[in-house]
Amino acid sequence: MIKETSLLTHNGSLSYEAIGILLNKMTSILDDFGMNITIKKKVYAAIVESLENIYRHQDIVKNGDQIIHTPLFTLNIDPQNFTISATNSLRIEKIANLKQRLDLVNTLDRIGLKELYKNTILHNAVNNRGGAGLGIINIAKVSENKIGYTFDPIDKQYFLFSIHITICHQ
Amino acid sequence: MKTLILEPTEFTPDLHFDPVQNVLNIAGFSRPENVIGYYKPVVKWVQDYIEEVVMNNTEFDKALITMNFRMTYFNSSSAKFLLDILFELRKIHEKGNRVVINWYYESDDDEIKESGEELSDLVCLPFNYYDY
Repeated sequence: MIKETSLLTHNGSLSYEAIGILLNKMTSILDDFGMNITIKKKVYAAIVESLENIYRHQDIVKNGDQIIHTPLFTLNIDPQNFTISATNSLRIEKIANLKQRLDLVNTLDRIGLKELYKNTILHNAVNNRGGAGLGIINIAKVSENKIGYTFDPIDKQYFLFSIHITICHQ
Repeated sequence: MKTLILEPTEFTPDLHFDPVQNVLNIAGFSRPENVIGYYKPVVKWVQDYIEEVVMNNTEFDKALITMNFRMTYFNSSSAKFLLDILFELRKIHEKGNRVVINWYYESDDDEIKESGEELSDLVCLPFNYYDY
């Protein structure tokens, strides 16, 4: 039986190459657990979308020259599920829209998510940060569970946003 | 026009679009750091290719276009551009050219197969599905 275990942790700035390294490590770890290709792809997709969201949308908080609150990513396993957590700092102006989108996907079933994905991909252009508004929808689709999240204030301008994604491996 | 060849990298797919054979192949991973920078020229190539195909169409002779997808993974931003390419192919289909879209997927990879089914549904073009 699989015990609750921390599989992967990253705490620090996130380059595109670093995301690739984490993905390679994850693939190798899931192979060691004998996970089938569908589970591996689900975990892969959830990690890509959550880390690329950090890479594209994080707002860096500095104290002088020092960066405080670097991104944090963890991948854990327990007897039933994989849990992916990702934390990054965000400007307060982004919170309302993000919360609204998370709350929306959490109300939708599989069919509802497919419809939302369809409407979004047909009507949204890719913005200059490389996003198309599809990442959170994709996470919800592969997870098939509600997305957990928290917003913790850092100061008057910034929040710490944490997302928690659960993917069943049984 | 010239064949479009983009060698695969860790983040981008293997892309080979042949305007003489009328076969467009794309395979591998797609999560480019600069997704617009990567795919915008690809979409432009397809648009120029479609124009050329239409110009060469006659009443009784219209080219058969084949597009082969053999994707291992593509992120959501890439999906948007793959859809843009497919919409260009739909235009040529509407001009009377036959367009065959083959979606190859690894056996048991339900995620990538389903991704193909979604794209087919979005563009309203039938795909042929082949596992390997």
